[in-house]
Amino acid sequence: MDQRVVDFIHALRARGVRISLAESIDAMRCIEITGVADKQFFRSALRASLVKEPRDLPTFDELFPRFFGLDMPPPLHQPGSGMSPEEREQLERTLQQMLASLTPEQLRRLFEMMMTGQGMSGSQMRQFLSANTTAMQMVTGFQPWATRRALRELHFDRLEQLLQELLERLRQAGVSEAALRQLEQEARENRAALAQQIGKEVGNGLQQYESEERRRRPIEDLQDRPFEELQHQNDDDMRAVINRLAAQLRTRVALRQKRASKGALDAKSTIRANLRYSGVPLDIRHRRRHLKPRITVICDVSGSMRAVTGFMLMLVYALQDQISRTRPFVYYRTIADVQADFQRLRPEEAIRVVPERVQGGPWQTNLSECLATFIRDHLDAVDRRTTVIFLGDGDDHLSPPNPRAFEIIKRRAHRVVWFNPEPPYRWGRDDNHMHIYGPMCDAVHHVSNLRQLVAAVDGLFQ
Amino acid sequence: MFNTISDVKAALSAQRYIPSDEIATTVFLAEKLGKPILAEGPAGVGKTELAKVWATATGRDLIRLQCYEGLDETKALYEWEYAKQLLYTQLLRDKLNDLLAGVTTLAEAADRLAAEEDVFFSSRFMLPRPLLKAITSERPVTLLIDEIDRADAEFEAFLLEVLSDFQVSVPELGTIRARHQPMVLLTSNNTRELSEALKRRCLYLHIDYPTADQELQIINLKVPGLPPKLAQQAVELVQRLRSMDLKKHPSVSETIDWARALLELNARHLDRATIENTLNVLLKFEGDLQRARRAMVRDEGDRMRRERDEFGRLRRDDESSRFRGN
Repeated sequence: MDQRVVDFIHALRARGVRISLAESIDAMRCIEITGVADKQFFRSALRASLVKEPRDLPTFDELFPRFFGLDMPPPLHQPGSGMSPEEREQLERTLQQMLASLTPEQLRRLFEMMMTGQGMSGSQMRQFLSANTTAMQMVTGFQPWATRRALRELHFDRLEQLLQELLERLRQAGVSEAALRQLEQEARENRAALAQQIGKEVGNGLQQYESEERRRRPIEDLQDRPFEELQHQNDDDMRAVINRLAAQLRTRVALRQKRASKGALDAKSTIRANLRYSGVPLDIRHRRRHLKPRITVICDVSGSMRAVTGFMLMLVYALQDQISRTRPFVYYRTIADVQADFQRLRPEEAIRVVPERVQGGPWQTNLSECLATFIRDHLDAVDRRTTVIFLGDGDDHLSPPNPRAFEIIKRRAHRVVWFNPEPPYRWGRDDNHMHIYGPMCDAVHHVSNLRQLVAAVDGLFQ
Repeated sequence: MFNTISDVKAALSAQRYIPSDEIATTVFLAEKLGKPILAEGPAGVGKTELAKVWATATGRDLIRLQCYEGLDETKALYEWEYAKQLLYTQLLRDKLNDLLAGVTTLAEAADRLAAEEDVFFSSRFMLPRPLLKAITSERPVTLLIDEIDRADAEFEAFLLEVLSDFQVSVPELGTIRARHQPMVLLTSNNTRELSEALKRRCLYLHIDYPTADQELQIINLKVPGLPPKLAQQAVELVQRLRSMDLKKHPSVSETIDWARALLELNARHLDRATIENTLNVLLKFEGDLQRARRAMVRDEGDRMRRERDEFGRLRRDDESSRFRGN
């Protein structure tokens, strides 16, 4: 039983449920207390000790029946219960004759199991399957499909034909029709049970493969992959990564704020607080430092930038409670304020929708024009508390650079930071104007993967 | 205290709380292992209620610590009572004069005062807050730490320390150990991700909205006297509202409130007017209210159309049979 629980924990981990060693020990202790007799309590005990996130509950609910399910495949029974001893002997003889000349080997084994009712244990079955089918080596695929494939490779469909052949021989040997009918039915039941057993083992095999596969490439790796590759990742995975990073950042930021909370002496508050001690300053109050920055993000949403922009905006939104005000803008040919979109839609949807607002005309970036429009229409988004983040490659296909507009933004803003996914050696080449804007920024970060992005965002709060 | 999980169930049910198997098992395990429970789930599904019921069922006192942003040790653990210390100093001034009589140097005076320091930093001047109360209590207690997600990450770390060995050190007094290990229930509405370390130390209990049957049971238990049919209808409506895309779904406590309101209004069955008048007990946002009303009007339209079609079909059948009869 313990082994089964350990396997179960492995499978949960493989699906991304974070279970520590301490928790698995807890689970064992819980099982000792509740016992395994009552399935419902057993299940609750495992659930309470292993799963600590609501989002992991469906995974638990899905895997639990597979490991401790009631749906164990039915066992095999020896067919021929309604036969007389002579008839049974006849069956035995005929069966041996047939088996002797039967090929291929795996079909012979199957037919033998079906007609004698002597099945295999789980591990034997596993060996049998991996020796004779490709289903156990399958990389992907879901269980029903893999099972069908295994059955086909084992020539499972020929069993029916063999059964009919056997029945025919027995009939000729003079076995009664009633006994034959019963034999046929029992053999069919055995065959169904065999199919279920095979299905279960194939399922286990797939799961094991999956768990090993996951262990080989843990989720952390995603942080170091370039954004372009991440684009094709599963959305849920990515959201999980983003949320985790956001949670980490948030804790770090919270701690930093806490440490920074002891600021200058707040005379007014101290006097007020100490009135009850007849003005003796026992309780000293300090001014809290508010580190909550305002952020204005100006994102390039041209094709090459789409992947990074999405992550950036998602991260900023995940962090929203740390940042008192966030103003997102997107630019391509023109620039647009997309705050309304983000308030109305979920961030993932918004990210899909917003690029449409700035398209039209030739598919070329017009950064200078966009900067000019920004200082004309949206300069209220920048004040002395605002950190302006430019997220873009700095390309401008239509006009010369516009350092004057950039200077105006910089003078008003608390800081101007540029996140650039292009490698530094490309800055300033061809249509790229990074060499003009870069030196004017307070900081320029090269962000080509999630780790760099997080480090850059983390830097904003210092 | 409890020998089987069924005991837990019976004891909680006796306090008019309907525990699911999950809840009963987790409480049972917490009793046996002495581990805290972390209960998460939407607001108003009975997380806080569970702590109260648990305390009553086991005959423990309930001590509650409500968390909020900015909660710190002085609010959660203990605080020196400055005002009282100051008052005593004033009142004992004469005594102090006696004490310091005949002292010639400042250093000597300070030494004598220092010798009496213990008087002022004793438990007499200490203001125990919920955590310290739970630890020093003479009687066994259930400690409810409500809405831990609202407290800061730093407080969470401090709490971990207390929860792991149930002892606190007060620099002036030394280490205080718990006489009885308190049973701890933490609740969270999941507004913030709690730290892994805290989760690791707790048994996790996710309480979700109850199923229709459970909710009906709860209503019958909490609002006796509500006609069964009405209760059934009310629960169906609430369950339907929960399946809709609303800003805030009605909680169990709101369902109970609503059922009470229906009882007060002497409603016999749920008609449109009754729902219109009382829906604001269930839904607290104007947008949600409007959306729910629209959905109900749509439903009613569907039903009427169905009934009309049904009626039409019946009549057609009727006529055709008559025709055949002729």
